[in-house]
Amino acid sequence: MGKVINIQPITRIEGHAKVAIHLNEEGNVSDTFLHVQALRGFEKFCEGRPVEEMPRIVCHICGICPWAHHLASSKAGDACLGVTVPSAAIKLRRLMQMIAYVGDKLLNFYFLAAPDFVIGPDSDYSVRNVVGIIGAAPDIAKKVVHLRHLTAQILEEFAGRAIHPTFSMPGGVSKPMTEKERKKILVSADELLEFSKFTIGFAKENVFPKYLDAIKSIGVIKVGHIGTVTDDGALDFYDGKLRLMKPDGSFDDFAYDEYLDNIGEHVEPWSYQKFPFAKKWADKPVLDLDNPAGIYRSNCLARINVCDKMATPAAQAELEEFRESFGRPAHLTLLYHYARLIELVQCAESMVQLLHDPEITSPDIRVKVEPKAGRGVGCVEAPRGTLIHDYETDDNGLIKKANIIVGTTHNNAAMNLSVKKTATELIKDGTYDQGILNKVEMAIRAYDP
Amino acid sequence: MIKNLFEKSILVFGCGNILWGDDGFGPAVIDHLKKNYSLPENVLAMDMGTSIRDILFDIALSEKKPELLIIVDAVDHPGRNPGEVFEIPINKIPDNKTSDFSLHQFPTVNLLEELQSQTQIKVKILVAQTQKIPDEVKPGLSKEMENAVILACEQIWDFINVVV
Repeated sequence: MGKVINIQPITRIEGHAKVAIHLNEEGNVSDTFLHVQALRGFEKFCEGRPVEEMPRIVCHICGICPWAHHLASSKAGDACLGVTVPSAAIKLRRLMQMIAYVGDKLLNFYFLAAPDFVIGPDSDYSVRNVVGIIGAAPDIAKKVVHLRHLTAQILEEFAGRAIHPTFSMPGGVSKPMTEKERKKILVSADELLEFSKFTIGFAKENVFPKYLDAIKSIGVIKVGHIGTVTDDGALDFYDGKLRLMKPDGSFDDFAYDEYLDNIGEHVEPWSYQKFPFAKKWADKPVLDLDNPAGIYRSNCLARINVCDKMATPAAQAELEEFRESFGRPAHLTLLYHYARLIELVQCAESMVQLLHDPEITSPDIRVKVEPKAGRGVGCVEAPRGTLIHDYETDDNGLIKKANIIVGTTHNNAAMNLSVKKTATELIKDGTYDQGILNKVEMAIRAYDP
Repeated sequence: MIKNLFEKSILVFGCGNILWGDDGFGPAVIDHLKKNYSLPENVLAMDMGTSIRDILFDIALSEKKPELLIIVDAVDHPGRNPGEVFEIPINKIPDNKTSDFSLHQFPTVNLLEELQSQTQIKVKILVAQTQKIPDEVKPGLSKEMENAVILACEQIWDFINVVV
């Protein structure tokens, strides 16, 4: 009878998770299981609720991505009720999304990932933690806190609430932006853009090169990728079409409402969380290290792989440099951290661009909605991956059926595979230590579940 | 209000998901506090829902730290009666609050320990024993937890007055 190594909690990741590593009698890995928290029964709970209330309710699904759920739900509501949202409202939705994402990406890099890289993956946990960062880089830590607070303040002051947003709804948004607000937010946005550029430069110079061996070895798997692109192939967080890319780089594009033709949802008895898979590649996801099938990744690495280009100039320059080093598609798992910073630059640039758009202060921010029967698939790219809200309404505009696939769920199979890969390669003959177990955690943290 | 986060010396954070029955205890406590108490100027009470960890990271790294941080949450603790309100030390947080399918998005215990041991912040964790956490999404507190909300607010008021 072998042994089971349990790692719980997986420190610093965004959701709750635990890993069970099963060893055989020789002390080598026979299997691994990653369990991630799932919100069960939410779709059933939605039934019978007015579709216009959904953007407010769904924020409670995830405390880390409330804005992504808020916007995906609004878009699904727009489609169910058959309304065309005014252009200024879409720009304001995009702006709030970018502000929320900049704060999130700064949090992820500096507080969740950085302890591993700045302090070192083999360091003792007593120093490899958030407070340890202060000692290692005090000025940067202070700046990050200041800027993250700034993003939350903008969301709160302009959009009403940062944590459980109520800003967006089917048909548009709740308030227009005044010229005075635009100017004030622009000052903060410029500061955020400058720091975003500093961050990727700092990481490329001081962080990633030191850990290239770890990047090349921890949790590496070769699977597919999913993400949203515009018609001309640029990465977009708010709207576009879905692109599902095979491990070899070939891809299919499809409209959001065709996701069921392309994505299946498999269930395993040992996990409450679903295992989405690429239906056209396999009958179900196969978590075999040598021959994985049907598995794709979401979130930043997947997005920068599927897109032909970034949507903004500085981010595009970063993507070109990244691709020169790692190719397309890039498969090294820890490159998620690098990809996240390229996205950070795009989000910050987009924020500034939107604030310079004269239409952002247009008072035309909402159209009237009437209850009606319909179906709407609202999709946005959440910080943690492609987020799909699929609603059907009855004649009274009440939800008849809902299906939600969250970003982390797309990564369920891939994360399990990366954990298995890391554990299998590092744990031999029953020998392991804190550094090895932390590397298993690092493979998970990269996906930011 | 988040804009006041670093200006207040006492922070009271209610955490939990209002969609999960008794797990909505923390947010309900904050709501009751705001409606029924005149909180002193130096106190910020916030419903953090399931977003508390973001804020804790910022507090951990900020130069301006609060004197007292009170975390309010629901718990399923062996040997306690439903609706019982009690304080737990950080090192006694049950395993099911730190891992896998915890319904709570509770702040990682590691982070709270870091705050307690490596900063000057005094961390208090006030919890109430759940009557039942539903298997699937179902909002609304049990009768026991509704009573616990009042008891918890009285206890928080005492904590605040000691510091004030």
